[in-house]
Amino acid sequence: MNRIIVILCLLLGTITVQAQNAFVGQHRYDGEHKNEISGYAIAGNNVVVSGYGGFGLSYKRHLTDRWHVGADVQQQWGKQLYSNDVQGGYRLPVWWGDIYIDGKLMYNRYNRWNANETIGNLSLTWEMPYFYLRVGESYIHWKTGDFGYTEPLTLTFGFGAMIRPRTNSWNIGLFFRNYDDFYYENWNINWGLNFYGRLTKQMYLFGELNIRPAGSMSQLASKYETSGKLGLKYAW
Amino acid sequence: MKTTHYILLGAVLLVLSACDKVSPIGVLVSGTGVEDRVKMSNSYYQGHKGEGSMLSGYEGDEYTFLVGADSHLTTDDGRMREMLQIALDNNDLLMAHLGDIADTKAEYYIILEDLIDEYREKYAKKYYAKQYLYDEKFSLDQVSYPFYPVVGNHDITHNGWALWSNIFHSSFYDVYVLVNLDPPQLDHFIFLDSASGTLGREQVRLLEEGVLNDYYYTGEKIIRHTFVFSHTNIFRPRSVEFASTFPREEMFFLLNKFSEWETDMVFLGHVHKWDYQKVGDTEYLTLDSMCEANNPQPGDYLVRVHVKKDGTIRWEKVRMNYTKK
Repeated sequence: MNRIIVILCLLLGTITVQAQNAFVGQHRYDGEHKNEISGYAIAGNNVVVSGYGGFGLSYKRHLTDRWHVGADVQQQWGKQLYSNDVQGGYRLPVWWGDIYIDGKLMYNRYNRWNANETIGNLSLTWEMPYFYLRVGESYIHWKTGDFGYTEPLTLTFGFGAMIRPRTNSWNIGLFFRNYDDFYYENWNINWGLNFYGRLTKQMYLFGELNIRPAGSMSQLASKYETSGKLGLKYAW
Repeated sequence: MKTTHYILLGAVLLVLSACDKVSPIGVLVSGTGVEDRVKMSNSYYQGHKGEGSMLSGYEGDEYTFLVGADSHLTTDDGRMREMLQIALDNNDLLMAHLGDIADTKAEYYIILEDLIDEYREKYAKKYYAKQYLYDEKFSLDQVSYPFYPVVGNHDITHNGWALWSNIFHSSFYDVYVLVNLDPPQLDHFIFLDSASGTLGREQVRLLEEGVLNDYYYTGEKIIRHTFVFSHTNIFRPRSVEFASTFPREEMFFLLNKFSEWETDMVFLGHVHKWDYQKVGDTEYLTLDSMCEANNPQPGDYLVRVHVKKDGTIRWEKVRMNYTKK
């Protein structure tokens, strides 16, 4: 137990020492590193499959201080969900923050239920030191067996708040949104806590607790899925 | 300035909290859990299995059943009354209601229960033998009135499960229609509790265990047709829909489950808009609301299904004429 406390203190100390190295947002290019790679593990519990887990990998390339492109892959056991996406965006500096115009193309294979999903998303994010707001639209087409269905355009929305400004080397935040890395829901709102902390000049630890109820807009939000994510980001 | 903001925020929350149709906190957490409802329902279902859950199918060439959705009954019982009367006049074998039968208030449920009792009596007078009706031991409680509802989110938003379950007892159950004696053949009607936008872990577990399809495991397949009823819809007919549908994995799970059951028709409600899809061999009908407040004009809000002796199925929309006086 004492050893754990010492390790945690050292970790916290490292984060604090690195505080002078400004972290400038979840999205924004910090002016020094052109490449970011992240790996994370997820584990959770879901009504349909009970326990599940998986891994994800992300890469982002800052082409300039305004343009970026990236790609993500994820594999989840339990749901037998295999996902990948490509994305790109433009950063527009505005008063008190940045506006991001992001596009994303995604493919999901829900192998357990023999279903494929193709998604296109376009969204606007206003990122401020303590908050972000996101709105967008998603095109969702899914197929199971011979049946294909294109859903009416789906509104994407998200809000997040953090206890420290984004320039801080560590942070803890709260979010409400109707999407996650690899899904866009209609009116099912997921919410939770996230954090990040700088370990070295190039390395970050990040994590998330995600509560995903069903029936939010039916005013009967019920336990559907709870998951946790823990990962490392390396920038160079 | 800050004080004004706080006062405004407080006023908005107060108005929202005071509104009968809105339960703001329910967007994040719910006081009426699907897990508890299903456990209670299954306990009742197991204890009363077989009581009135087997109907006899044919007197002529076909039997029919009538389906309605989202009646949101308040003080005006006109449309609900019309549905029950249409079924009585047409000799429909059973009626199914897809939830949100009343908005959650005790007085609305008293109106609903009185109405159902009124039609239970009319049903008994039409179908029961006179010597049975005039027997001094006869009571209306003994009449198995074939009205089968599923529970909807508005039925229970303000902890209305106590009201709903007091009348209908179980939100998760099934009914069989005997269509042939030798060899035995049954049509299977499955009623799911999807009011919370998810079946919940317990209901999924029970479905996986086969609690509602035990006739499949007798060695010989004796189920001819399967019909499923759910409040929450699968298909979203409009872009902006202020109602939650199933989360994605559960939607795919259900599509697979209905296919595994060889379901012929799935009936859905909740979104107050008509939609039709066919996935494989399964037809998905999402019914518009039959409520006079949502649809004041007369319209084709009900669906009648004709199930022929030879096994063919045909369905039609049924007009409702009641308008608010």
